[in-house]
Amino acid sequence: MDITSIRKKAIDAVASSSDLQGLEIVYKSFLGKSGELNILLKTLGSLPADERREAGQSLNLLKKEIEVICSKKQIELVNSDAENKLQNERIDVTLPGVKKEKGRLHPVTQTIHSISDFFGSLGFEVADGPEVETDYYNFEALNVPADHPAKDMHDTFYLGNGSLLRTHTSPVQIRTMEQQEPPLRIICPGRVYRKDSDLTHTPMFHQIEGLVLEEGASFAQLKGLLNDFLTDFFGQEVELRFRPSYFPFTEPSAEVDIRWKKGWLEILGCGMVHPNVLEMAGIDTKKYSGFAFGLGAERMAMLKYDIPDLRAFFENDHRFLKQF
Amino acid sequence: MKFSKNWLKEFVDINISTEELCDQLTMAGLEVDGYKSFQSKLTGKDAIIDLDITPNRGDCFSILGVAREVAILNNVKLKFPKIQSVASTIDSPTKISVCSDGPKYVGRYIQDVDLSLKTSSLIAERLETSDHRLIDPVVDVTNYILLELGQPLHAFDHDKLVGDIHVRFAKESEKLTLLDESKVTLNRDCLVIADREGPIAFAGIMGGLDSSVTGSTKSIYLEGAFFKPEVIRGRARRFGLQTDASMRFERGVDFNIQELAIERASKLLSNTVGGRFGPLQVVTEKKSLPKQNKVSVNILSTNKVLGASLSKTKVKNYLTGLGLSPQVNKETIKTLIPSWRYDLSIEADLIEEVARLEGYNKLPTESLKPLTKKKETSSSHEVSSFLVSQGYSEVITYSFIDQQDASLLDAQKNHLTVSNPISQNMNVMRSSLWPGLINTYINNLNNGEENQKLFEVGSVFKKDKKGKVRETLQIGGLISGKAMALHWKVKPSALDFYNLKGDLESLFINFRKEVTFKSASSSILHPGKSAKIKLGSKVIGEMGVLHPGVMNQKELKGEVLVFALDLEMLIPNKNIKYKNFSRYPVSQRDLAFIVEASKSNSELIKLIKSKAGKELVEIKTFDVYQGDNVPEGKKSIAFNLKWQSLSKTLVDEDVDRAVEEIVNFLSKKIKAELRS
Repeated sequence: MDITSIRKKAIDAVASSSDLQGLEIVYKSFLGKSGELNILLKTLGSLPADERREAGQSLNLLKKEIEVICSKKQIELVNSDAENKLQNERIDVTLPGVKKEKGRLHPVTQTIHSISDFFGSLGFEVADGPEVETDYYNFEALNVPADHPAKDMHDTFYLGNGSLLRTHTSPVQIRTMEQQEPPLRIICPGRVYRKDSDLTHTPMFHQIEGLVLEEGASFAQLKGLLNDFLTDFFGQEVELRFRPSYFPFTEPSAEVDIRWKKGWLEILGCGMVHPNVLEMAGIDTKKYSGFAFGLGAERMAMLKYDIPDLRAFFENDHRFLKQF
Repeated sequence: MKFSKNWLKEFVDINISTEELCDQLTMAGLEVDGYKSFQSKLTGKDAIIDLDITPNRGDCFSILGVAREVAILNNVKLKFPKIQSVASTIDSPTKISVCSDGPKYVGRYIQDVDLSLKTSSLIAERLETSDHRLIDPVVDVTNYILLELGQPLHAFDHDKLVGDIHVRFAKESEKLTLLDESKVTLNRDCLVIADREGPIAFAGIMGGLDSSVTGSTKSIYLEGAFFKPEVIRGRARRFGLQTDASMRFERGVDFNIQELAIERASKLLSNTVGGRFGPLQVVTEKKSLPKQNKVSVNILSTNKVLGASLSKTKVKNYLTGLGLSPQVNKETIKTLIPSWRYDLSIEADLIEEVARLEGYNKLPTESLKPLTKKKETSSSHEVSSFLVSQGYSEVITYSFIDQQDASLLDAQKNHLTVSNPISQNMNVMRSSLWPGLINTYINNLNNGEENQKLFEVGSVFKKDKKGKVRETLQIGGLISGKAMALHWKVKPSALDFYNLKGDLESLFINFRKEVTFKSASSSILHPGKSAKIKLGSKVIGEMGVLHPGVMNQKELKGEVLVFALDLEMLIPNKNIKYKNFSRYPVSQRDLAFIVEASKSNSELIKLIKSKAGKELVEIKTFDVYQGDNVPEGKKSIAFNLKWQSLSKTLVDEDVDRAVEEIVNFLSKKIKAELRS
């Protein structure tokens, strides 16, 4: 048996071992006490001295080589064994996970939040006030005297004790002006009530009003602000127009229409705060001017989400709510 | 108001399409609701335009008023109609007297009219297209003038009048039967037209039935008066009598137009019902007519308010166009306000006119510069977001609820009610969010949604003992059904008291608020499964299982859990300060006791804590058990206790001593028995 053929035989045997036990047998058959290399080693004594040394060296090299390939093979076999085990632990990754159901904010609340966020970024603070109001804050302080025909624009709910349900969030503006010194930038979201019920009216809805009261507040700024707001709200440039209108608490007053589908759609009311309103709230009209605007949260949500029926907001059907 | 375009063209020469005209009007503040083209048999191609007039523009409640606007917008002159006076051939037997609140009365006696004749076809067509019913040839003419000139007219059957005509206030409880056959009992602040016998018309609102013109009327007395807006306002509404006349009078009628209106009506009447005409009787209390104010507008403040740079000439021209007579003095323009414009009394009013005529959209636009503001925390915002993350969906329900729900679901007895509700089942202001939540739950349950977690943020209303309204912002919620949807791995259990309590506990941890839950009872919640939530000594909310009685009434099965919290009490504690923590190891022990079943967890923990020493850092209840191996009426309850010192490693002896004290104390105090 010569070394070359043993080497070849050993390499082949290691390579063809398919498990650790087989490899152990192969190892022993070459390197064990009675393995082929030892048997060969024993025959060396019969060789002449210099040949013997040479053959001894080659045999030792071969021994090392076989040890190396055996241990490499061993690692290989161990790894593939573990891999095989893991393969058998395979799970179905397509089964649904254990998840926590997420709730939803009502689309009206989401709309109010997104609008408040826009105005918040310009320095507006959120102000609120009571829903049960007095005639003074809901009408008189807003330049709507008793019996004024403008009261017909608001169908008011009255409560037994002479108070009423606010028909707009404008009373919050008055209360804020009474309590805080200008300059002021506030936004007043909240529930308002009007005695009206049909496809496009519900007896309760949400209004968002804004007020800017500072030196130099101008109609041009009001136009710019609303333009920027509507672009932000709809996420794209919208065409809008300002149209003269009438509110007792603003002068000049305007309605804002946006280009919607084929026509114009009335979307909000606004104007420069009427000097009477500022004076009643104790504001120095020589120094400060103000503008205000008001819009309906439901109406904005209807436009944004393409909701056809206002009443859906208060039915709270889960099939409706879960879409937002 | 609906009007014919051809009629308008009698007052103003324009040659623009109806579309363009409507657009002009809308953009000038007279909003066109719509228009309809039609072919008139008498005047050819025409259109009916429907105008929505704002309360400040009473002057536009007529063809004449709209024509004035159109003339300015198109820069053409108003064609004031030439009105021929009828010849007066007889004397008037009736004298007139006015008063300071009805300071002008123009009248005419007309004898021998023939009411069997027909209204002219042009008047008939125009009244009908303006949605006015044809009545008789006299009333039709008065309506025609109302639409054309904005002056309400009235005709009495002269033969039914007794004595002279007076404009005066009603006496208290004076009675009058009106044209629509309604009987009104007047108050002292109601202006009337009266003869010697009493009221014959409710001034500015509606004529009386007894003195009205009928088919057999032979002579009439035609009236065109001016009443002050403030004595008409509110009366029509009070009596539920909004009429074409009251709408105009309460917004203000031109106090110089009555003569013209009566002359024009006389002419039209002479063309139809004929008759012989008395003199034009004009009685005016001049000092009581509205003052024609002079108003100044400063060009600098105009430009400041508008953020514009309009020239003095431009501003002056706009004002002139409106029929004003502006006089310029340096930067100030002073002008007399015409008798038909009740809405112009201060500078801002004139600024609006200038802006309107310049065109709002032509005026400059400027972005508002951002300001920094102090960061604010809205607790409703934070509670809502937290509940959403816990699987709750927000609902918004009406603040008014049904009386029956109020008494069934709302423990509060002193409800605030709506005097004029939209419907009888929406007449109580809620004092709790639960009725809305429960009804929403039921609706969704009926639609097949069995597992629900809902919440609402809203105000609730209560009346205190003095009848004062107390309005509080609350957050309320409801859960029912399974903790989660059907799942292959987790078998979902039914939501119960501890699920809801856990959600609330997480909320309070999130808000850094330490609250306690105290057993409580109410008529709405299960007496054994409800709790008050306390922050310090203040009750800030309640929670529990809906009372089985309520469940029965609402035909509900299973368990429904609700909660309510006062939001004002729930301001998150954002004031976080670092505290030193121990780096020494924790020693722990598990202790299980057999105690009376009625002993509460919090009671036991309180007792244990009192003897556990200050190094106890945590105590957790990890098992509660009743049944085998536990005597009847007792329960086994197990706690895991953790001790940790800030200054040393605790040794067994330290902890054992504490355990011994606890066990002895519990045994002595409540006969608790340590389970081995």
